[in-house]
Amino acid sequence: MPRDDRYLDPTDSVAVPRKTAQRPASLDGKVVTLLDISKAKGDHLLDRIEELLRERAKPKAILRRRKPTFARPAPDDLRQQILRESDVVVEALAD
Amino acid sequence: MPRTTKRSGGPDSQADAIEDLYAWGVTDGLPVVPPTLRRVEKAIAASGGAADDLIALVPPNYGRATVEKIAVNAVMAGCRPEYMPVVIAGVEAMCEEAFDLHGVSATTNFSSPLFIINGPVRKALDVNCGTGVFGPGWRANATIGRALRLIAVNLGGARPGVISMSTMGHPGRYTYCIGENEEENPWEPLHVEHGFAPSDSTVAAFAGDAPQGVYDHRSRTAEDLLTTIARSLEVIWHHKATALGDTVIVLSPEHARTIAGDGWSKAEIQRFLWERLRKPVKDLLPGKDGGEGLPEHVVARFPNPERNETLIPKFRAPEHLKILVAGGTAGRFSAVIPGWTFPNGSNLVIKTIHIRA
Repeated sequence: MPRDDRYLDPTDSVAVPRKTAQRPASLDGKVVTLLDISKAKGDHLLDRIEELLRERAKPKAILRRRKPTFARPAPDDLRQQILRESDVVVEALAD
Repeated sequence: MPRTTKRSGGPDSQADAIEDLYAWGVTDGLPVVPPTLRRVEKAIAASGGAADDLIALVPPNYGRATVEKIAVNAVMAGCRPEYMPVVIAGVEAMCEEAFDLHGVSATTNFSSPLFIINGPVRKALDVNCGTGVFGPGWRANATIGRALRLIAVNLGGARPGVISMSTMGHPGRYTYCIGENEEENPWEPLHVEHGFAPSDSTVAAFAGDAPQGVYDHRSRTAEDLLTTIARSLEVIWHHKATALGDTVIVLSPEHARTIAGDGWSKAEIQRFLWERLRKPVKDLLPGKDGGEGLPEHVVARFPNPERNETLIPKFRAPEHLKILVAGGTAGRFSAVIPGWTFPNGSNLVIKTIHIRA
């Protein structure tokens, strides 16, 4: 974003697009969390992803977690838990 | 924070400034007023606060809405300095947890914060509460609503297609701000109903779709008119949507008079509409009269759903139907405004406007 010192800045330094985490080259030996955000039929999508992961990759473990509601951010303890226990997260949106 | 001004003045430099701010990516698609130091300082001075007072963190990026940052966006929106206390109260309202700006800003739904102004400040700032209340034409309504949108984008990060993923958006996402027509309201105004004094000035934030018109020229009794309004509410989201929360009904002065003339209170209106808007399970099944309907886990609770007559309410409780009076004194039209109302979704939030003494 170009800066222009004739005008005051209407943005805040933290309000910039966030970078996504680096993707691992392989899922072998990784702990993968499948996060259901509680949208209708999100579990269908994650069930199929879990099947494909077991078929095509060799993850150390696949964990299933669920947000209480899609309408709000995941509670902090759930985020911390996912951060602690997994290498990779797949989040499902459906409807 | 850059604070130098090196403007040479004159029409050309203003035109360039508008293009520069577009290039900066901080507009809503319309030209903005360049936020020069002098303009921003006037807005801060009128706010009653100090430049670095932190009013709120704006979800979902949690940018810091200091008085100065709010002032910069208010200037860009075209606000007069004296609108600042209203914009500040609007920031407080939309950033409160109960409003869930995180969800409202990110959703694929239509929703946008609608700001409803009550109390003496409406007259002091010439906020339109009457003819053409949803706009256009009034500086206060147009620029206060726009300032709050710019704040959601520039401090909250709600850029369309980046964080804001609304499939359709709606025109109120440029600006969405009305005053209640308290002078034509036969009941207590919104803020008084929610525990504020009539002499308080307040701003309410409500996450709403665009207004849907209800045309009824012929009903002359409360029951007839409210039946028409119930039928219009029936199709909110879709004709089988249930478990909805806060939803706004804007009655025109003529409609309000017809209903109040029959002696109905707001609570009676809410109860009547809530009861009318219940449907039996058998009429809410997905795949019958449209693919939408009750979620499977809800259908599973009822034996023989195809014949089950248990009534399911469209709205979770009568109090979720928020009744306002606004608009011109001529015309038998009202509006219903669907909310962003998932359980645990957005709720109407009202904040006091602190006018500088």
